[in-house]
Amino acid sequence: MTTTHDIVDAVVIGTGAGGAPLLARLARAGLRVVALEAGRHWNPKLDFATDERAQDKLFWNDERLSAGQDALAFGNNNSGTGVGGSTLHYTAYTPRAQPDDLRIRTEFGVGEDWPIDFADLASYYEEVEQFLGVSGPSPYPWGPTRNRGYALGPLPVNGAGQLMERGCRTLGIRTSPAANAALSVGYYQEGVGHRPGCTNRGFCQAGCTVGAKASMDVTYIPLAIHYGAEVRPECFVTQLVRNASGRISEVVYIRNGQEERQRCHNVFLCAGAIETPRLLLLNGIGNSSGQVGRNLMAHTALQLWGEFDEDIRPYKGIPGAIISEDTHRPTNADFVGGYLLQSIGVMPVTYLSQMARGRGLWGSALKQAASAYNHVAGINILGDCLPYEHNYLELSDETDSRGLPKPRIFFSNGESEERMTAHADQLMRQIWDAAGARNVWTFPRNAHIIGTCRMGNDPDTAVVNADGRSFDIPNLYISDNSTFPSALSVNPALTIMSLALRTADKFLTSQRRTA
Amino acid sequence: MSHPANTVRSLLQTDLVTAPTREALNGRLNAPPRRPTFFSADEFALLQAVCDRLVPQEGREPSQRIDIASGIDLRLSENKSNGWRYDDMPPDGEAYRLGLRGFDESAQAWFGQSFRDLSPEQQDEVLTAVQALEAPGSTWDILPADHFFEELLAEAVENYYSHPLAQEEIGYVGMADAPGWQRIGLNNLEDREKQTDASA
Ligand SMILES: Cc1cc2nc3c(=O)[nH]c(=O)nc-3n(C[C@H](O)[C@H](O)[C@H](O)COP(=O)(O)OP(=O)(O)OC[C@H]3O[C@@H](n4cnc5c(N)ncnc54)[C@H](O)[C@@H]3O)c2cc1C
Ligand code: SF4
Repeated sequence: MTTTHDIVDAVVIGTGAGGAPLLARLARAGLRVVALEAGRHWNPKLDFATDERAQDKLFWNDERLSAGQDALAFGNNNSGTGVGGSTLHYTAYTPRAQPDDLRIRTEFGVGEDWPIDFADLASYYEEVEQFLGVSGPSPYPWGPTRNRGYALGPLPVNGAGQLMERGCRTLGIRTSPAANAALSVGYYQEGVGHRPGCTNRGFCQAGCTVGAKASMDVTYIPLAIHYGAEVRPECFVTQLVRNASGRISEVVYIRNGQEERQRCHNVFLCAGAIETPRLLLLNGIGNSSGQVGRNLMAHTALQLWGEFDEDIRPYKGIPGAIISEDTHRPTNADFVGGYLLQSIGVMPVTYLSQMARGRGLWGSALKQAASAYNHVAGINILGDCLPYEHNYLELSDETDSRGLPKPRIFFSNGESEERMTAHADQLMRQIWDAAGARNVWTFPRNAHIIGTCRMGNDPDTAVVNADGRSFDIPNLYISDNSTFPSALSVNPALTIMSLALRTADKFLTSQRRTA
Repeated sequence: MSHPANTVRSLLQTDLVTAPTREALNGRLNAPPRRPTFFSADEFALLQAVCDRLVPQEGREPSQRIDIASGIDLRLSENKSNGWRYDDMPPDGEAYRLGLRGFDESAQAWFGQSFRDLSPEQQDEVLTAVQALEAPGSTWDILPADHFFEELLAEAVENYYSHPLAQEEIGYVGMADAPGWQRIGLNNLEDREKQTDASA
C-alpha cells in the first residue's frame, strides 16, 4: 500500500463547480493542495467527438436506484465525472439568483432561508462572471442593478431562441439573450491564457471541443495548477479517516485498483449532491443532525417541444440562447417561489430518447416523429422545489462494481411543484402556439440534485454552517450543490462556484486567525 | 418526409468532420457482425424480432440493417449501466431476460404461439399491451411492464439513432463539426445542410 506521508494543507475531493474554484483559491493563497478526482483528465481536442454516444464517458454512470412518484433519471440527465465534473457537460446557463430566492421561508412560510444574504454573494458572482468570461446582455433586465456588466456581449441566437422571442413578444412576455458561460468572442484569462470564441457547435451537453465553454477544466483547474495545486485524476475516494481528536487526518482512495492514502490538515468535500452525502453515510460521519442525504430537492424542469414549418436544425448554436425571468413571481401563482423560462436546442439522440420515454412512440409513429427532428424546438422552465420529508437519499443493500452500496434516491414532487408545473405547462403552450408550433408535447422532468447536506445556523437541522464547515468535524468543509438550503429559481452552477470562492475565503480567514 | 441517402457517409469522407467524430461514426458504420455473448441464441432472436417492431427498418437492405439488439447484448455482457434504474426493476440483465420471457408468455396466452411466430400485427398487439400494463402472463406480476418497456424502447432508440445511417434518415448533419456554424437562425442553412433539406 502506498502511503503519502506528506501532510498537505488540504485535500479537495471532486473538481466540478464546487471543487475547482475553491482549489484555485486555496492554491493562490500558497497552500499545498491536492485534488482527488474520480474521473479522467480529458484533452477535449483529441478526446471529444461531436457524437453523443462517444461522449457517454463524461457521465457518472455507476448505477443509482431511483424511487418515488417522480423517479429521477441520473447518468446523462444528471451528473458528470472527469476533471471538471458536471461542468464538462453543462449547458453553461449562468443566471444569478435573485435576493428573494434566498428568503423563501420569510416570504412563503415554508422551506428554508439561506444563512447568508444576497450581498454576501454579489461580489463573488461578479468575480466568477468576469473570470469565466460570461457572455450576456448589459444591463440584464431582471434582479438588482449591478456594478459591472457581463464580461462579453451575448452569444448569437439560434432558431429555438428566435421562436421563443416571437412567441413571447405576442404575449407581452419580456425576453433577453441569456447569460452564458461560453465565450461570444475570444478571451484572455489570467493564469490560463487565451480561449477561443464559441463556434456554435451546439454540443455543450456532450463536452466543448474548442474550450469556448467555461467548464472547470479550461478555467479554474488550469488556474489552480498555475498556482501550484496538484490534480490527481482517476482517484476514487472511499474513506475519510479520523484521528483521536475527531479531525480527518487521512483520505483513502483507489487508484488503478490499489488503495492509496493522502494525509492532510483539512478536507473539502465537493463530490456533488449524491456522492458527497453518500461518502459521509458510507463513513458514518458528519451526521449528528441526521440531515445528511435529506432535504433532497430537484428543480421543476418541464420541457415543451413542438414542430415548426421553419428549418431549425436544433443542433446549432448555444443550446441555451434566450431567457425570461418574468415568471420569477407570477401574479397569479398558487405555488411557492417561481421559475424562469429558457429556449433549448437539442442533440438528436437526446431528443429522440426523451421522445421515446415521454411519448412512448414506437413503430412507424416513432419514425415519423423522428423525421421532423430538423424542425423541432423546445422551451423549458427551471423552478423552485421545496424540501420534503419524503425526498432523500439512503444507502441500499445492493453493491456496485466497486463493491460499495448503491445509493437509493426517493423523489416525488409536492403540491407546490405540481402547481408550478401546471402553470408553466399552460404558459409554454401559449408561447409555442403563438410562435406557430404543431404537435406540441411535454416532457416532465426534474433537474439538478440539491440540498442533501444543507447549510444553516442550527446544528440540529443543518450539516454545515454558513461557511460550509461541518458542525461535527472541524476540518471538514463541503462545497457543492448539496449545501443549498433552498433550490433557487435559477440554474445552480454560477451560485455553486461563487459559494465555493466564499467558502475558501472564509476558511483562509479562519486559518489566519488561528495562525 | 424522407431525406436523401448517403449524406452522412459522404460527409464522413471530407475534412468537414473532425478526426475524433469520424472515428466514432465510422466505428459504428463498419462494425463487424457479432454473436451474442449475453443472451442465448433464442433470446437474441426474440429481442431482434421485438426491436424490428419498435424501430422498423423496412426498405433497408439486409447489409445495411442497424443491429440494435447487438448493442444491447454488448452493453449487458460488459455489465455497463446508464447511471440509474427504476428501484422497482431488477438489475438490467435480469430485467431483459424476464421481459423477453414475458413477451413470449403473452403471445402464448393470446395467440397460442411464440412471439416470433406471430404476424407483425399480432406482435404489435402484444407490445401495445405490455406498454399499457395490460398484457397477460405471470411475468408481468414480477416485472413492472411499463418501466421495462420504457427502458427497452429508450435503449433501442438510442442505439438506432446513434448510427450514421439512421442519422441520414432524419437529415442530421451536426457531425460535420470542423468548420463551426455561422448560419444558425431560422431557415438559415449552411451549404452542407442544404442537401438534407427534405423540402428542397
Ligand atoms: C445535461 C446537464 C446540463 C446542465 N446545464 C446547466 C446549466 O446550463 N447551468 C447550470 O447552472 N447548471 C447546469 N447543470 C448542472 C451543473 O452541471 C451542476 O449543478 C454542477 O456542475 C454541480 O456541481 P458540483 O460541484 O455539485 O458537482 P459536480 O460538478 O458534479 O462535481 C463533482 C465531482 O466529484 C467527483 N467525485 C464524486 N465522487 C467522488 C469520489 N468518491 N472520489 C473522487 N471524486 C469524486 C465527480 O467525478 C465529479 O467530477 C447541468 C447539468 C446537466 C446534467
Ligand atoms: S456551442 Fe459553443 S460553447 Fe457549446 S460546445 Fe459548441 S463551441 Fe462549445
